[in-house]
Amino acid sequence: MSLVTTRAAARRIPWGWILGLGIPALIFVRIYYLVAVAGERDLAFFLGAALQAMQLGSLYALIALGYTMVYGIIRLINFAHGEVFMVGAFTSYFLFTLAPFALPWALLWSALLAWGVTFVLNLWRGSMRDPLVLAGGGVAFVAFAAVLSTSGLNWLAAMLLAMLTTGVLGVVIDRVAYRPLRGAPRISLLITAIAVSFLLQNTGLILFTRNQTPYRPGTSWTEFLQFDVAAGTVYTSRLVFLIPIVTAILVAALTLFVTRTRLGKAMRASAQDAETAQMMGVNVNRVIATTFLLGSMLAAAGGVLWGLNFGSLNQPAVLGILPGIKAFAAAVIGGIGSLPGAVIGGVLLGFLENFVTALFPRTGDFPGLTEYKDTFAFALLIVVLLIRPSGIVGEDLSEKV
Amino acid sequence: MSMLSVRDVSKSFGGLQATHQLSFDVEPGEIVSVIGPNGAGKTTLFNLITGVYTPDEGDIQLEGTSLVGRSPDQVVGAGIARTFQNLRLFTNLSVLENVLIPQHRRRHVPWWQAVLRTRSYREAERVMHERALEALSFFGPRLMSFRLHQPVYVLSYANRRRTEMARAMATGAKMLLLDEPSAGMNPKETKEITQIIRRMRDEGGYTILLVEHKMNLVGEISDRVIVLDYGRKIAEGAYEDVVNDPAVLEAYLGKRSDDASEEGAA
Amino acid sequence: MPGERPIARNTLLTLGVVAIVGLLLAWAQGVGGAKLNDTLALFAIWGIAALSLNLVNGTTGILSLGHHGFMLIGGYVTALLILPDSARQQISSSARSAMTPFTLGLSVEGAFAALGLQALTTPGTLWVRFLVALLVGGLVAMVFGLIVGIPSLRLKGDYLAIVTFGFGEIIRLTASTSLFAPFTNGALGYAGVPSEFGKSLGWTFALLGITLFVLTKLKFSSHGRALQAIREDEIAAEAMGVALARHKVMAFAISAFFAGIAGGLWVSYLSAARLDFFLFFLTFFFLVAISVGGTGSYTGVLMGTAVVVFVQQYGDPLEQTYPLETWFALVGALVLAAGLGGAWFRRRTRLRPVWHPLTVILAAIGAVVLAVALLAPNWAPFDGTFQAFGMRRILLAVLLITIMALRPEGIMSRAEFSWAWLLRERTAEPSDEERAQDAWLSNPDLNRPGGAADAGGAGDAGDAASTAVGRYDYASDHPSAQGDPLPRALLDEDGPGAHPLLERGSKPRDVQRYGSAGDPAFHEDGSEGAPEGVPEGAASGPDPEDADGAAGDARGDERQDEHQDERDDEGRA
Repeated sequence: MSLVTTRAAARRIPWGWILGLGIPALIFVRIYYLVAVAGERDLAFFLGAALQAMQLGSLYALIALGYTMVYGIIRLINFAHGEVFMVGAFTSYFLFTLAPFALPWALLWSALLAWGVTFVLNLWRGSMRDPLVLAGGGVAFVAFAAVLSTSGLNWLAAMLLAMLTTGVLGVVIDRVAYRPLRGAPRISLLITAIAVSFLLQNTGLILFTRNQTPYRPGTSWTEFLQFDVAAGTVYTSRLVFLIPIVTAILVAALTLFVTRTRLGKAMRASAQDAETAQMMGVNVNRVIATTFLLGSMLAAAGGVLWGLNFGSLNQPAVLGILPGIKAFAAAVIGGIGSLPGAVIGGVLLGFLENFVTALFPRTGDFPGLTEYKDTFAFALLIVVLLIRPSGIVGEDLSEKV
Repeated sequence: MSMLSVRDVSKSFGGLQATHQLSFDVEPGEIVSVIGPNGAGKTTLFNLITGVYTPDEGDIQLEGTSLVGRSPDQVVGAGIARTFQNLRLFTNLSVLENVLIPQHRRRHVPWWQAVLRTRSYREAERVMHERALEALSFFGPRLMSFRLHQPVYVLSYANRRRTEMARAMATGAKMLLLDEPSAGMNPKETKEITQIIRRMRDEGGYTILLVEHKMNLVGEISDRVIVLDYGRKIAEGAYEDVVNDPAVLEAYLGKRSDDASEEGAA
Repeated sequence: MPGERPIARNTLLTLGVVAIVGLLLAWAQGVGGAKLNDTLALFAIWGIAALSLNLVNGTTGILSLGHHGFMLIGGYVTALLILPDSARQQISSSARSAMTPFTLGLSVEGAFAALGLQALTTPGTLWVRFLVALLVGGLVAMVFGLIVGIPSLRLKGDYLAIVTFGFGEIIRLTASTSLFAPFTNGALGYAGVPSEFGKSLGWTFALLGITLFVLTKLKFSSHGRALQAIREDEIAAEAMGVALARHKVMAFAISAFFAGIAGGLWVSYLSAARLDFFLFFLTFFFLVAISVGGTGSYTGVLMGTAVVVFVQQYGDPLEQTYPLETWFALVGALVLAAGLGGAWFRRRTRLRPVWHPLTVILAAIGAVVLAVALLAPNWAPFDGTFQAFGMRRILLAVLLITIMALRPEGIMSRAEFSWAWLLRERTAEPSDEERAQDAWLSNPDLNRPGGAADAGGAGDAGDAASTAVGRYDYASDHPSAQGDPLPRALLDEDGPGAHPLLERGSKPRDVQRYGSAGDPAFHEDGSEGAPEGVPEGAASGPDPEDADGAAGDARGDERQDEHQDERDDEGRA
């Protein structure tokens, strides 16, 4: 009998090539049509749209990194990550606007935050007797009390403090809600994550606000910017430069941490195989706590930049969930478990939302794609999961028989 | 026509060639054993036959119809059922339910009839119960009586293996693929399972392809033995001939002492 | 289960309970007051939705998070089809209305009039039109369930969960876009939906009863077994011929249908249809109901729904305005409780020290805050009041987190409430004769893990055979030997006191925690108290294989003598 080529082999379609080359080609055709044929837009408009897409994509990337790191290690879609992002945004808002707090509140919050800092340091150092742990807790208490009872922080300082508090929150969430469920079915863990997300949403509604909140830290970065290029004038704001640069710095720092430090290497080892890593002497719980710490810090940075970008924060129940799920989609699109994948996915999603909608503006009867842009992430997520579940750069994590 | 014919089947995962140009036939009513060192591609072969993986090239036919491209449940429908090396029972369901589930495919009534408990549904249910008890009684009274309604997770390891074999038989398949049926069993139970496999063929009329590490079991029941190493077939024939084949001795029996410790990693 | 159960008696009991419930409901509707009536109606409506979600989440084991989307579809379709003319005129005269004359003309009444069924367009026959609208709503939701299910159900586990969540949100987000606004009236929605059905206990409970009937019959049928097989092990289910995609889509579509029905009743209950009635919190509430009551148990889900509805309806004291010091005290009490709870948890999981400095500090912070709030309520910063909207939801979220951490299988786990269970009929309990036979079948001499090697080389047949095979170590192949220090007996335990229903679902965690499934004391009694001439297994109940495993691992040599005795006994018998 001759060699039979299987149907499966014949059916294998090179989706990567088709999509990778086809979509840019279609975009170029569309731009050519709009600029040269219809004359509705000039090239500068698309340059501006691309810059803004980059800006939004960076934000998604920052959030997506948290998803991808946690998923890589404990295979949990951390549903609460979007809410952690929300808490980061609101914490920074409170730090640069509402302070000073009345004494009891300032003391209460700083005591709890300092406790959290001690908690994280204890996880890292392994003992409460370690002088660093006690000193860290004490310094944190004094520093927080000082910050919360004086007024008006600079946005960058607010961002760093918000990153710290949110990072602690992430670790505490892991310890309280997720760690008791290590080894339980993944679905139980996911349900817990949903519950945590719901808890944070409603706590946010009580503690922060129930309304849309203006977010104006008084920095010149949000100022309007216009500059001329050969093909016209680009209208944008200075954030177009700030946000991608901050993102790049944070991603570079994360990459250095993951590749160069002991803990980072332990992290990668745990992502490969947590059980084996544990047998090789890696303290997996510490690694997971670090993962939550870093992921939540990045999300908080994303929250601050998000506020700067949009100039206002949505109410807590809405702010976290949609960017969170979109960033998760970005992580899956890029390849979940992979850090570069999260960045690529985030930027791709940013382009899809901002750039592709710019290609189909509202004209006459046609309402434009803008009102559907929230659904793009889900649609792309479903398509990617069905065609290539491992994402653009990721590896296959499906179950072995 | 042979029951199962595997023709030039190759499958690779990334750079790893799990099976390479593998060809063999299984005649109706035969018991054929596949042996080989760990990582030789035995379980991959089972996964290819049962549709869990699709071969990169080659063809697999059951009584002349190709199985390539069918999903695992369609392969069961075509007439091949399997057991798993590391037990995949429905642990929270009872023994009886475990053996009823595989019959669902063949005795299917629309769901609304099931809800309304129509006559045809009740009839199907009765037949399913009969068949289930028949399959379970193959293993003696062990899984009968009060065990029927016990959830699987309370069963001993050996009883779980038996339940899994009964479950495979209840699919109504013509051919059974047993992946290490005696793994984790003691000598007495191994002997018993050896007899049961033979009875499955003699009384049940099944054609059996099995992967096994215990050479005495293989030697006792196999009509034919196929030896795999690194995804290639290195020998085929009667047990006595195969075990004296120098290639097999080198590839397989030379590593015999490893087997006990590495079993289950294949 | 065999047909030995007294079916007639059970049917009579069920009918009796249904009659009593009916009378109680009639009483509640008549004299119980509006609040009680609303609560019960809400229980029935959410009960339908939670039950239908449980078909997917509990029985099939697919975590679906898009249930609110299907409810939205069912709700809007029902509302549009039943909307009275006055409400339609109000919409069409509104400047902000997005509806077209065509979509405004969609109604059951119009369809009946066009078909010439004038008798069914009178005000007295509104219930017929409502029923038709409800059915159409359910069917449309079902169609959307198919549209959503067919592509996404090829995915597994958490990916599937996130995709269903995505679809639920897409449905809600696109409902207000210009494409669908003519049908949904955008963000405005409809007002004036007749509320006499959604608030009627007769209607809602009748539909709840139908839902419960259909879903439980489905669960205990061949299809239900196939769905449970998918939940237990997808790969094995597929290898046993269960067509995964088809069954999942079936479960999904049936679930969406009932969700649509629940949505229709929900808009009638609220007498309006708006997009913000169908937020994710609905699915979350049902998830709480399922997790609290027991994943896969329909009666458990109804219990969980009762908890959720109770918190929702009677939890308003939580959300009233209180002076600031009360909130301060509450925060203090919570922090104190968190510290004490941490210590309790450390004690429960055997972490040392129980009073870790961190838990002490946390408890101390809480105690100080509580003390300040209680001792100095008139302190200036405490001037003012605060109202915390959302405490009920926080309570439910905390409940869910706690349940998942402590008892993830829920109150009922997978067991159903049944008369047999209530009347203590233990069908799964073996008789003494059966135990004796079982003991004989698994001759303890040959079934000892590790052969006689453990017992110091007391050569017997098993030892010889295991030597012949090449000193294969059986114990190392057993799951209990793989990194788990448990004696084998506890893993394989038949559970002498195992309750036929309640123990069933509580398996994996309990067993692994040395818990309820195996009672070591029983072995002691059984082996020591075995009368002369009776094989040990016959007296002690558990599978002798297991008892023997315990002996091999836990007590070792001293038990060996008893085995010798036993063999002698059996020889005589």
